Amino acid sequence: MNPIEIIAQYWPRLLDGTLMTIKLTFLGALIAALVSPGFALIRTHAAPLAQAPLRLYISFMRGTPILAQLFLIFYGSGQFRPILQDWGLWTFFRDPFNCALLAFALNSTAYQTEILRGGIMGVPQGEIEAAKAIGMTRFKTLRRVVFPHAYRIAWPALGNEVILLMKASALASVVTVFDIMGRTRQIFSRTFDFSTYLWAALIYLCITAIFVLIWRQAERRLSRHIEAHHKPRVAAQPAKEPQA
Amino acid sequence: MSQTEIILKAEGIHKSFGSVEVLKGISLEARKHDVISILGSSGSGKSTFLRCLNFLETPTSGKVTVHGNEILVRNGKPQNVRHIEEIRARLGMVFQQFNLWTHRTVLENVMEGPVQVKRQPKAEARDKAEALLKRVGLEERMGMYPSQLSGGQQQRVAIARALAMEPDAILFDEPTSALDPELVGEVLKVMQDLAAEGRTMIVVTHEMGFAREVSSEVVFLHEGRIAEQGPPEEMFTNPRTEVFERFIAKVM
Repeated sequence: MNPIEIIAQYWPRLLDGTLMTIKLTFLGALIAALVSPGFALIRTHAAPLAQAPLRLYISFMRGTPILAQLFLIFYGSGQFRPILQDWGLWTFFRDPFNCALLAFALNSTAYQTEILRGGIMGVPQGEIEAAKAIGMTRFKTLRRVVFPHAYRIAWPALGNEVILLMKASALASVVTVFDIMGRTRQIFSRTFDFSTYLWAALIYLCITAIFVLIWRQAERRLSRHIEAHHKPRVAAQPAKEPQA
Repeated sequence: MSQTEIILKAEGIHKSFGSVEVLKGISLEARKHDVISILGSSGSGKSTFLRCLNFLETPTSGKVTVHGNEILVRNGKPQNVRHIEEIRARLGMVFQQFNLWTHRTVLENVMEGPVQVKRQPKAEARDKAEALLKRVGLEERMGMYPSQLSGGQQQRVAIARALAMEPDAILFDEPTSALDPELVGEVLKVMQDLAAEGRTMIVVTHEMGFAREVSSEVVFLHEGRIAEQGPPEEMFTNPRTEVFERFIAKVM
């Protein structure tokens, strides 16, 4: 078969795999995005001792291969099946998709927490003081000043993390999730046609390209106050007379 | 001194950073319409004192009272933390580095406090913000971001932002020190207008002209204590302490 025949015959499966990859990546990144702001605040504000469990978790997630984490959850849960059944959790862990999602969410949470922590630390201190001085509560200060800046600063790195997660999601195929890679292996085992993998690579590339476009648009929106000045902002240095 | 309403009262403010005692018991009273200039050489504690008034810096001990909100501090622990936000909302603050929110437009900066803190309707806050910006001469810059403005313009926005809260008093922390010399005048002019209309102001400054001509009272800090205090004309023509005399000789 030539490459065109491969795609003509198997595109429904590849499409199905593509949707699975997107679903896995999107949900994993989303769960991490919901949890990481709280964790990042603990990292920047809590006492060192209170942070210890969080730091341990982050070190583990960043210091071990994501494949090992996936196996730990997928095969590990099998070991504890009776206990999990007692707790009513077995139905969750029985599904390889859930195991993969859990592994990716846990992993991405660790990375996103650290990225966001950097963003929070980069927020201009004076603007936080101005918020306090006008009488804003802590929560308001976070919502109106700290996080808008923190996300703007962290945005490119967060995008990077999502791309890395998307590529890492191919590992899910090892535990029988039919994502792009899973479908590709399935097709290859029938056709023994090397071009199957080329198609898979092309699909990953397309997803990444589209994602980068969207992410860049969002970045532009977040940074419009900087682009307005036509050059990078230099902290604490007042601008000269406006050009207009 | 006339018996007008006391707006702000600070009693026995002490502040230490580690083992260094920066403020050694400062008391100050601001009555309605007072314009108090706080002078002192660098390291005298004047900015620290100002920041203790709205608890951007927590005093080690002392008491601050604003409009019936009393906060007593012992061992670095404020007793009624709940009053802090109330006090802050009642005291406007203008910073040396302007500290405008760079991700918001000029207009949004001025609307932010009334909408987010006082929960005013947006339309109302917008009208007021526009009027205030017009007052400080920036009605044409309302849609711009702070980074597109000069330092003097940014500081005038910061003053409008403070005014939008309709504060009982405004604290100025060296408002002209970060400005290019040619931009100092436009900010001082606005401050002078505020004083003339009877605003209560406490100003940490190096502008001797402002201290002498505009303020109703001058406080001179030296090594964490009030060394001399009084009406400006008297103090500048007849300094009672040697330290203040030396200070004037150096800066004038």
